[in-house]
Amino acid sequence: MSVFVEGVGAISPVGPNAEQSWAALCHGAEAARAVMPQAMADRAYYCCPVPPKFLSEAARYPRLRRSGTISLLGTAASLDALADASLKQSKELGGRIAIVFAICSGGVKYTRRFYDEIARGGANSASPLLFPETVFNAAASHIAALLGVDGQSYTLVGDSSIGLSAIHFGCQLLEMQPELEHCLVVGTEETDWLLADAFASWKMAEREKRFEVYGKKSGTVFGEGSAAIVLGRNGTIEIANSHAGQSFFSIDDAGEVALQLFPKIAGSERVDLIVASANGTFADEAEQRVFSTAFPTTPVYCPKPAMGESLGASTLFQTVCAVLALRHQKLPGTLQAGWKLASVNREARTIEASRAFVSAIGFNQQVNGLVLGYAK
Amino acid sequence: MSMPSERQTPNAERETPNAKRRVLVTGIGIISPLGPDAVENLNSLLNARDAVSPVTEFDVSKTRCKTAGHVPDAWLADALAPTRAASRLHRSSGMMAMALREAWTSARQPVPELMVIGTTAGGMSYGEIFYRRLLSGNSSRRQFPRLVANYLPQKAVLDAQQACGIRAPSQIIANACSSGSNAIGHAFDLVGRGLHECIACGGYDPLCELVFVGFDSLQAATPEKIRPFDVSRTGLVLGEGAAFLILESERSAASRGATAVAEVAGYGISTDTYHLTQPHPSGIGPRLAMERALASASAEPEEVDYVNGHGTATIFNDATEGIAISELLGQVPVSSTKSMMGHALGAAGAIEAVFSVLALREQFLPPNINFTEPDPSWKFEVVGNEARPAKIRCALSNSFGFGGTNATLVLRAA
Repeated sequence: MSVFVEGVGAISPVGPNAEQSWAALCHGAEAARAVMPQAMADRAYYCCPVPPKFLSEAARYPRLRRSGTISLLGTAASLDALADASLKQSKELGGRIAIVFAICSGGVKYTRRFYDEIARGGANSASPLLFPETVFNAAASHIAALLGVDGQSYTLVGDSSIGLSAIHFGCQLLEMQPELEHCLVVGTEETDWLLADAFASWKMAEREKRFEVYGKKSGTVFGEGSAAIVLGRNGTIEIANSHAGQSFFSIDDAGEVALQLFPKIAGSERVDLIVASANGTFADEAEQRVFSTAFPTTPVYCPKPAMGESLGASTLFQTVCAVLALRHQKLPGTLQAGWKLASVNREARTIEASRAFVSAIGFNQQVNGLVLGYAK
Repeated sequence: MSMPSERQTPNAERETPNAKRRVLVTGIGIISPLGPDAVENLNSLLNARDAVSPVTEFDVSKTRCKTAGHVPDAWLADALAPTRAASRLHRSSGMMAMALREAWTSARQPVPELMVIGTTAGGMSYGEIFYRRLLSGNSSRRQFPRLVANYLPQKAVLDAQQACGIRAPSQIIANACSSGSNAIGHAFDLVGRGLHECIACGGYDPLCELVFVGFDSLQAATPEKIRPFDVSRTGLVLGEGAAFLILESERSAASRGATAVAEVAGYGISTDTYHLTQPHPSGIGPRLAMERALASASAEPEEVDYVNGHGTATIFNDATEGIAISELLGQVPVSSTKSMMGHALGAAGAIEAVFSVLALREQFLPPNINFTEPDPSWKFEVVGNEARPAKIRCALSNSFGFGGTNATLVLRAA
């Protein structure tokens, strides 16, 4: 049974929707950097925030008036994807669509605020308004309410590869349930100083504004945003292959696991382009090894130097980029690309592509891949 | 040939996905406040043990509720083998490793193609330590990397896998308190529809301060005894634990010579969007989940011999579940085993599925302790205070959570 991409959506630091974000990336745009606020120590980190004006449409929903940023971002991307799929919010749609939400760090801002009140003021300071928004599935619940979904809503948690696992999960639902027509897969991330400092403890956070990929391994800069895709039974671009993901038990094994997994997922047919997950960390080395060995001439595009590492949203952003690359037959240039990977695409250009691979080397022991292709 | 955890169009070599197959439970594993394994949990159920005790892990001087169901550290220390892999284990992954190892062993060491796990808090307790150390300002950052790593829900799963020598892709569902049931339900669908042959599924959640204080702030937690389905119920207490089931097709079980202890026959899921933390008063959410589960099992309401209710003992949750059970199932025996061990959140659905398997295997009704008086608006019978023998062929296990996620499993005797 074939599963197709019926629509894509996004809200990113470089655009309020998928098409505008894509156009900006193709023009070499780079997200504005801001110093993360609310530092708890003398360590500053930059991030790529989503401009507040991009969220004005999502913020008008009464249900979201107390919700966290993560819910607003997810809603904006979801509505964009539904519009791209020509689906309108209605009671009928609510009964025919499932939601799969990909989360990495969760609603970190509200969680931090809630726990901060407990840690500083004691348990009786805890806010009953904040607590429900700290739950991983709060954002999915809000989107289900807006779409009128009374059936399936799943929130999946994982590392920065979780978006691809969520797409696989969505494909499973469609494959198992003939009565289900669509599945909305959403990935979201909000930024917070706490998150960056946690990654810094792993030596994976860059202190400067920019980071290089496939070059100097200096850590990453975080970005926020959300990306969504509508999976369904009609369309021109299909999910040719997806996977639940494979774990690696040490960073040194990531390349080896990817080297075994990616060619299997890609299959025997030619891959015309790769949208990669390189982010200035060990992930770059793992991808370098796999791409130069298994896909030596396939052009590689990496969106993270332009928009930041958006963890729970990142592989869905990559997937949206891959879909739009196939749709527009164009590939953006990778900003801040180092010289360790010869096949990295450095300048925006037109391409002839019918099959794309999305790569994910997660920061916490997960590797995954996805193949998109024009249906035959 | 595609890998088992992979989907590939259009040439995947497997049975037609829409042909439903029987899904056997060939192994169970559990650690809960009622015991470190299935045998002890069974004894506790049969003896109506109350495993709720004062909280000592963190400061509860400013909370209304001061009790919870605990898994004693000694159970974890005794059971973890002194191996290199086990040295990575912490409380969350330790509980999970114990339950997973027991399920895997009792299923005669299958090779699961996939793990589907539910959790609510994940490694939040490690996030709490990280945050408090940051707040203190003068703490060494030497331990930060491990604290941060353990905060992530999938880290515990990977550590448990490594400790057990199991390497399988994992899907981790965080649908609040229905997570464990969702994990089992999704695994049931995958095996039942022919996408997988053998899956380890379950849930885990350790007790942590953030969640404890959160429920207290909502005034959902009680300073009294937890009394599910009682007219004088006043709220929940929290618990913790982990449980796993090995689900496999008949073909897979037969090929290994494994025997079934029960069968998962149906799964229903619904989303109630009335409010983030409150169910629709009509009970439509639970009712839809139960109806869909019965339809999935091709079962009629009168076939149900026992319901392991979600039964958190909060005013609203029990009211809506009570309405739904009364309207759909009538005079069925119902108990909430949370009365004995508290609410284990993302692990609850998996723990209660194991309890339901034990009830089906041993043919008894688990008790609903601390029970004094039924709510007169409901038709069903609460299995008050003592376990009792009964003929059970079909059981429902309900789990409902924040965000309006509702899940029901239908289990049958083997």
